[in-house]
Amino acid sequence: MNSPLVLAVPSKGRLQENAAAFFARAGLDIAQGRGARDYRGRLAGLDNVEIAFLSAADIVAQLASGHAHLGVTGEDLIRETLADAESKVELLAPLGFGQAHVVVAVPRAWIDVKTMADLEDVAAAFRVRRGERMRVATKYVHLTRRFFAERHVSDYRIVESLGATEGAPAAGQAELIVDITTTGATLAANSLKILDDGTILRSQANLTASLRADWSFGQRELARVILSRIAAEEEARTTREVSAVLSHVTEPVIAEAKAGFNARIRFHGSDGRLNLNCPKDKAAPLADWLIAQGATHVCVAAQDYVFSAENPLFERLIARLPNPQDQNS
Amino acid sequence: MISGPFHTLQATARMRPCKVFRPNRAKTFHVKRIGTISPWNRTNFPNLSAKAVAPQASPCYERPTYLELSRQILSFVDPRADAVIAHLTRAGYARVEPPILQPASIFFDSGEDLRAQLYLTSDLSGADYCLRPEYTIPVLAAYLAGPSAGQRAAFCYCGPVFRFRPGKTSESTQAGVENFGRPDIEAADAEILALALDAAAAATPRSMLPSSLTVRIGDAGLFSKLLEALDLPPQWRRRIARGHSQGKTLDEILSLGVNGTDHSGVLGVLEGADKQGARALVEDLLSIAGIAPAGGRTPGEIADRFLEQAALKTGSGFSKEKRVIIEEFFKIEGDPRDASVRLRALAARATLDLSAVLDSFDTRLGLIAGQGRDPAKLHFSARFTRNLDYYTGFVFEAFAPGGAELPAVGGGRYDGLPHALGAKTQIPAIGAAIWIDRLDESGRQP
Repeated sequence: MNSPLVLAVPSKGRLQENAAAFFARAGLDIAQGRGARDYRGRLAGLDNVEIAFLSAADIVAQLASGHAHLGVTGEDLIRETLADAESKVELLAPLGFGQAHVVVAVPRAWIDVKTMADLEDVAAAFRVRRGERMRVATKYVHLTRRFFAERHVSDYRIVESLGATEGAPAAGQAELIVDITTTGATLAANSLKILDDGTILRSQANLTASLRADWSFGQRELARVILSRIAAEEEARTTREVSAVLSHVTEPVIAEAKAGFNARIRFHGSDGRLNLNCPKDKAAPLADWLIAQGATHVCVAAQDYVFSAENPLFERLIARLPNPQDQNS
Repeated sequence: MISGPFHTLQATARMRPCKVFRPNRAKTFHVKRIGTISPWNRTNFPNLSAKAVAPQASPCYERPTYLELSRQILSFVDPRADAVIAHLTRAGYARVEPPILQPASIFFDSGEDLRAQLYLTSDLSGADYCLRPEYTIPVLAAYLAGPSAGQRAAFCYCGPVFRFRPGKTSESTQAGVENFGRPDIEAADAEILALALDAAAAATPRSMLPSSLTVRIGDAGLFSKLLEALDLPPQWRRRIARGHSQGKTLDEILSLGVNGTDHSGVLGVLEGADKQGARALVEDLLSIAGIAPAGGRTPGEIADRFLEQAALKTGSGFSKEKRVIIEEFFKIEGDPRDASVRLRALAARATLDLSAVLDSFDTRLGLIAGQGRDPAKLHFSARFTRNLDYYTGFVFEAFAPGGAELPAVGGGRYDGLPHALGAKTQIPAIGAAIWIDRLDESGRQP
């Protein structure tokens, strides 16, 4: 009845700091147990939420098996490790950190190779000439196979590499690599270049929900609370509150505010008061435009939280879960 | 070490019965295997090298009946497998069963598609093994490692093969034949086709007539001979063959864009350049840019590709006429005897000498008729080559009635594989596989 909701977060490194900061921004402070080495924690203010500090790979495994309900992990790991990710987890929201692209990189000396089509051609010629397949060093075995197959590259052979993959071509262990990169600096330092259409995945940390976990009413309610705080913080961070007084708020004004500035109308009164929420970068143009419509002052304010009756993150999760009644049977 | 040809081995082997029953963790109950295991089965693999690794032992069990109770199959023994193998051994094909546990590396050269389907495992020494995903490579490797390598040999087999296929069972029963070293190519082609179809028919329920299998045939050799006779530059031949295997149309294959980047600038400089000049240019380019020429391909190879691209761009060696001939060739299909006439007419019109390969085609048809098969009932398609990477000549597939997606029988000539697995001489090779579970589509999932 009262089994906890398990939230899996990275146990160390930059990813942990970023994840903790992300939850803290949403007013969800992660309280580590008895010290930095305790691998179970709590969410301050929310009883019955258990934090599991795990390695990135374990987070994916726990989400897939249903031992964790929610987790923070890179999309690259999800796509690489789970054969049928869609049926096991739901990526609820990209978190804006842990960015890494999974890319195909070849030696810079291959000045004739810029695209995957070049690579397909060169790989076939390589095999004819050498009688061996070109070797691709990577830890992303499945992503590589899927991507290469889609682009008809078949004359290659994967050499599994669990670390320092960028060095494999120079060391003679492989001809090319598939690896993650953030800035491309390490690739460049190893005389490698990314193919123009060689980006397999633009990955970042994602708030991910398990579809295999036991989702009781209590656990769903906890997820709703957590997700509504996250959504409220995200909405507040990415939008601005804009208020103004016009002589008269007409339908065309409202329509234009919606269409031209992506604004959401929070309130408008017959006395001409208008209160809007719009994306951060649209706030200034919207203010300009409102002045042109006759406003004397326009206030733009940053917000801490914007809670809404609508909770898109939670609704996405609920849409993927079976009915609780069905689950009981 | 083992001496003597396979069939002798098998005849003298003392079989030891061995039964293994293992309940599955799930509700279903698996009877894994009943069979007799010979002592050789437990022999470890000899020192493995990267290429052409041969399992030491060949026969391993006499009655490899694969059983599964999980789908309410009532019989302990699949009578279809028994019927197929009985037919094949009666035809004089020696029964061999390579170990189920195979060194994984022998399958790696078959490409990542197959590799992705392997069930891998390793032992404490770090050696990698996989569950046998197919028979041809282990049987051929054992034949090449044995004393009868290069001589005539004919083998048959029937047992479980293991491949990962999402949503389907990983274990299925495969029977088949391999025939090595026969110089009478066409006769071997015809024999294998007839044998495979008859064996399949022997296992097909009485309610379904043997002729109900739909058979299509093709000739990978005909296609490569056509490209050769058209005198296309090797890079064009490669590209067309490759594109064809990928299911691309000729239009798609011929547009330069799909073959890679348009390096017009460099190609302009290289136009008319010789190999030496091109190579020097590439070396200069690399040194100006301060790039060490590393990474598996030499500046010479890069220069060669630039020259190829330049030649492709100017379209040299590939005229519109040649393109039309290939398109017409691809359109030929139907009754194989009519097709032969049309192929000869096409060759005559295009003044291409395809007489040798077409004579061989006709000879084969005659021999197929001699095996009691009406050639008119075979559907020939010039486009049908199966995997061009593997098959070099006659190819065929047969489908169970009812619009089966996957063939129940498939085979062909693969003269290139023995060499790729380390044979010193050219050894003709042809084989066929029979997928027992696909023989009738009456509800049992393959």
